[in-house]
Amino acid sequence: MKLFRRARRRAPDYGPDSTDAVLLAAVATGRTRALEILHHRHAPWLRTRLRYRCSDTDQVDAALQETFLAVWRNAGSFTPRPGDTDAGAWLWTIAIRQLISQLRKRTNQWIAGGDTDYEVIGDASAEDTVLLNIEHGPLGAALHSLSPELRSAIQATVLDGLTVREAAQILQIPEGTVKTRVMRAKARLREALT
Amino acid sequence: MSWHLTPAQAHEYADHRSDDVTAMSVEAHITGCAPCRALLPTDEEWLARSWADLRDVVDRPRRGAVETLLSSLGVRESTAKLLAATPGLYRAWLLATVAVLTAALLAAHHLPRGSLMFAFSAPIVPLAGVAMAYGRGVDPAHALTSVTPLAGQRLLFLRTCAVLIPALVLCTSAALLLPSTHTPWSAALWLLPALTLVTVSLMLSRWMHLGMASAAVGLLWLVALTALGVFENTTPLQLIAPQTQMWWAAALAAFLTTLLWRVRTA
Repeated sequence: MKLFRRARRRAPDYGPDSTDAVLLAAVATGRTRALEILHHRHAPWLRTRLRYRCSDTDQVDAALQETFLAVWRNAGSFTPRPGDTDAGAWLWTIAIRQLISQLRKRTNQWIAGGDTDYEVIGDASAEDTVLLNIEHGPLGAALHSLSPELRSAIQATVLDGLTVREAAQILQIPEGTVKTRVMRAKARLREALT
Repeated sequence: MSWHLTPAQAHEYADHRSDDVTAMSVEAHITGCAPCRALLPTDEEWLARSWADLRDVVDRPRRGAVETLLSSLGVRESTAKLLAATPGLYRAWLLATVAVLTAALLAAHHLPRGSLMFAFSAPIVPLAGVAMAYGRGVDPAHALTSVTPLAGQRLLFLRTCAVLIPALVLCTSAALLLPSTHTPWSAALWLLPALTLVTVSLMLSRWMHLGMASAAVGLLWLVALTALGVFENTTPLQLIAPQTQMWWAAALAAFLTTLLWRVRTA
């Protein structure tokens, strides 16, 4: 029985140069070394990006810690898209949600619904394709013309892939306000782009 | 990808100096582009510290279902671990118990007066289990545990509890499967003798090896059974008859008191 169990839980071969998918498969079988490689690869940029959302370094670090713990527990639930073994989008989804729950802890508000089922966000939607060219497309100029409030609403809902409720939590404004701001921002952008 | 980050852009972004639109654009890009992520400067010291913190949590041994259940019932963490680890010592006994009880059940269902076999073997089962749980020769880590402060009576009792619970559960479920000619009450007649035998063997373990003590007590039980079977005007059934239960209860109470008193004063 023990032999069988060991055979079933054998990790794939992995090294510092393996793809994220291989490393995550190894993490799913309980390899700490694979998690270390992933941490080394992804923690820096996740941290930089999270710090644009929250200026408190302690909370960002705590959220990152929770992120990689969630990866450690849920590595098996990662399903790479065909032809794309990068786990960046998946990791970001976890990280931004962990940051929100950190902030929620701080404000001491209890909000129901802590399901930990992470889905890859930003599945190459039309908005995404446009966003990838922000700097060099007409969208860049259009975004520049938006007020900071409208821009942050667009950023939270489109770029970070958050739901309205989550966006409201991270921006610390009511849900209704998020909705109107996103609507106004989109109208502004449409106007600017046509 | 239509463009990639320049090192200057990467540093600006990392230092929180890029304007909102560039930041958004950089973020949309690095979500999917590993080479550009690598351009971002890394705080190696922070990374090492963060990993060390993470490893502390990740390397903690996972707790099994039994352990979690026990600690949610208010058992202390170390005790829960000990109780959950004990069955590893007597897996063979557990299998043997199932085999013996199945045999007894089969006998009860197919032989005349076969349920006697169950009534007589049931008290022996927990006894054997307890003998398997503690002491030199059965516990591979005995040499190590015997020098810890936990060793001795406390460890012995904890292990005994860890054995008694599955043993009693198994025996009770077997008793409930006995032929329905018995009253439900008679299915529990073996319980008091079983507990008394275990207590006596625990008492004797003060002077001899627990395995020896259990063997002696078990032998005594069998001798008593055969003796009652051999004599003309007695049957082995008298040993577990409802009338004798009172005596068993009295004996159990007396032995338990002595045992606990010994532990307290020790």
